[in-house]
Amino acid sequence: MDIFHNIILGFQVASSWDNLLFCFIGTLIGTLIGVLPGIGPTTGVAILIPITFGMNPTTAIITMCGVYYGAMYGGSTTSILLNVPGESSSVMTTLDGYQMAKNGRPGPALGMAALASFIAGTFAVLMLTLIAPPLADFAVSFGPPEYFALTFMGLTLVTSLGGDSPLKGLISGVFGLLVACVGIDAQSGVGRFTFDNMYLLDGVGFIGMAVGLFAASEVLVNIEAPMQKVFSEAKVGFLSLFPNLQDWKDSFWPIGRGSILGFVIGVLPGAGATIASFMAYAMEKKLSKHPEKFGTGIIEGVAAPEGANNAAAGGAMVSLLTLGIPGSGTTAVMLGALMIHGLRPGPMLFSTHPDFVWGLIASMYIGNIMLVILNMPLIGLWVRLLKVPYSVLMPMIITISAVGVYATDNNIFDMWVMFAFGLIGYVMRKLDYPPAPMVLALVLGPMVEMSLRQSLTISHGSLAIFFTRPISVTLTAIALVSLFAPLFRILRNKYWRGES
Amino acid sequence: MKKADLITGVVLLVLSGYVIQETWRMPPSATFGPGSGFLPFWLGVLLALLAVILLATVWQREATEKDRKSPFPGAKALIAVGSVLGGLAAYILLLEVLGFLMDTFLYVAFLLGVVEREKWLMALLVAVMTTAGLYIIFQVLLGITLPSNMFGF
Repeated sequence: MDIFHNIILGFQVASSWDNLLFCFIGTLIGTLIGVLPGIGPTTGVAILIPITFGMNPTTAIITMCGVYYGAMYGGSTTSILLNVPGESSSVMTTLDGYQMAKNGRPGPALGMAALASFIAGTFAVLMLTLIAPPLADFAVSFGPPEYFALTFMGLTLVTSLGGDSPLKGLISGVFGLLVACVGIDAQSGVGRFTFDNMYLLDGVGFIGMAVGLFAASEVLVNIEAPMQKVFSEAKVGFLSLFPNLQDWKDSFWPIGRGSILGFVIGVLPGAGATIASFMAYAMEKKLSKHPEKFGTGIIEGVAAPEGANNAAAGGAMVSLLTLGIPGSGTTAVMLGALMIHGLRPGPMLFSTHPDFVWGLIASMYIGNIMLVILNMPLIGLWVRLLKVPYSVLMPMIITISAVGVYATDNNIFDMWVMFAFGLIGYVMRKLDYPPAPMVLALVLGPMVEMSLRQSLTISHGSLAIFFTRPISVTLTAIALVSLFAPLFRILRNKYWRGES
Repeated sequence: MKKADLITGVVLLVLSGYVIQETWRMPPSATFGPGSGFLPFWLGVLLALLAVILLATVWQREATEKDRKSPFPGAKALIAVGSVLGGLAAYILLLEVLGFLMDTFLYVAFLLGVVEREKWLMALLVAVMTTAGLYIIFQVLLGITLPSNMFGF
């Protein structure tokens, strides 16, 4: 079997000493980021790009992935104990998790969150192992029109699924595509929007942009509202973490359904862990025999969203690795990091860099086991860490970001890029413009443009090329539907209300 | 919020005007297929269209609770945000003058002591530790040469 051969290759790569060490460091940082409110996984991954710059690409991406799924574990701790979600993807966990802690059962809630995360995370990696290779084989036949349709679909799904206002999401995406156009056009050598600045000939540096848009603007948003120091009185013993038999019975199906739902949503470009956890919670509430009990502290309400957000993190890797289409802000930053390391995610990655792909996948199996160990016995340590005030954390985040951005190229200009995008990101957050579509557009921009121009060259300028090939027409259709769905919703509401 | 949305709408409209004007002068098509001005031109048009839609919907909508409030925080918080950003600008400007060690120490001490109003002893302690930590990560572990000042540190 080919797949066993690949997995063995993967484990050989992943179990080298430095990969194991950095997988551990990644999951540790991820848990930390998950626990601490005010710093999210996207920021964590963005800050790590310059630090992992000099590493072997496999080790670098293993570390970043560890941060990504580690944050999904850590985010639940503060949700349950303090009613403060560490991440947006663990907002749903606060509903029942915090109630369970208040009812004197913080242990099983924390334990179930970690174990549901483990089960769903492992399930997602297993599915990734099975689904990714055939999908990559299928995508090898994609030509420029299919790629354009695919990236177009990814961008429209992100704008329509994320954020409250699809219009603002679209503006954010179009702005990102425009920024991606800055610099010398790779196909004709014409300089665009360079303002006669020699640094801009190369385009706007991705690291400075990502760090500014996420790390710097996150600091600015948090600084204006001083966070209250929160303490938990709950004493959580190690043995109390294990859920009892009834808890398992109640959680069995929610974890199973949450895993499948989360994985499917994760694979879709545009929807990430946050949406997955919302939908899983809503689905359990609908299917439950006692929906009124949701929100009063029942274990299903913890198991389902925690499972779903971890499965989604695994699912997101499918479209990232096989198609090169990231599904969320965090995976978009990871795609940028991959490109900096000279790896072009996409169907060819599986045949050109099997050691990288399978090493990464194998490291996710290992990382999930590390995370259960990190999150079960050490939970008391994480809770104590919350006592570190944000005022101490903030200068560290901002200086490590700034120095990191400088260190990649020893270039002060990149720091100014970070400064500018920190300010832009801050204003965007304040005005409800989601930053995720913008960063996705920045990463995908060059591919969108190249595939669009190549397609139109093939077709002698006719747009019909996107509508005559079966795969590209399907993808374009999904893109158009998702683009206009919000508009239909507005119109329908207007007319229905108008008639009644 | 309503006012802020109207202002951003106008800003975006101006920006798209600039983009369209710039791309107008670029070659719209190369020998084979579309040229370098093609995508940015249509993006400019799209942005203008979205800005108009934004302006129209904001203009029409009845002011909600959220609309009456400014999305930006009060003066005190804005000063904090401004000091962090202003400090960052100074940090970037002075990095190659003061050198990494002194510049980072001063910036962290400023953030903690002035912006966050922590006790000075605490601020100095965190500043020393942050500077040392970053030095160890970047200079020692990663082998990157961080800028130094004219005295060599």
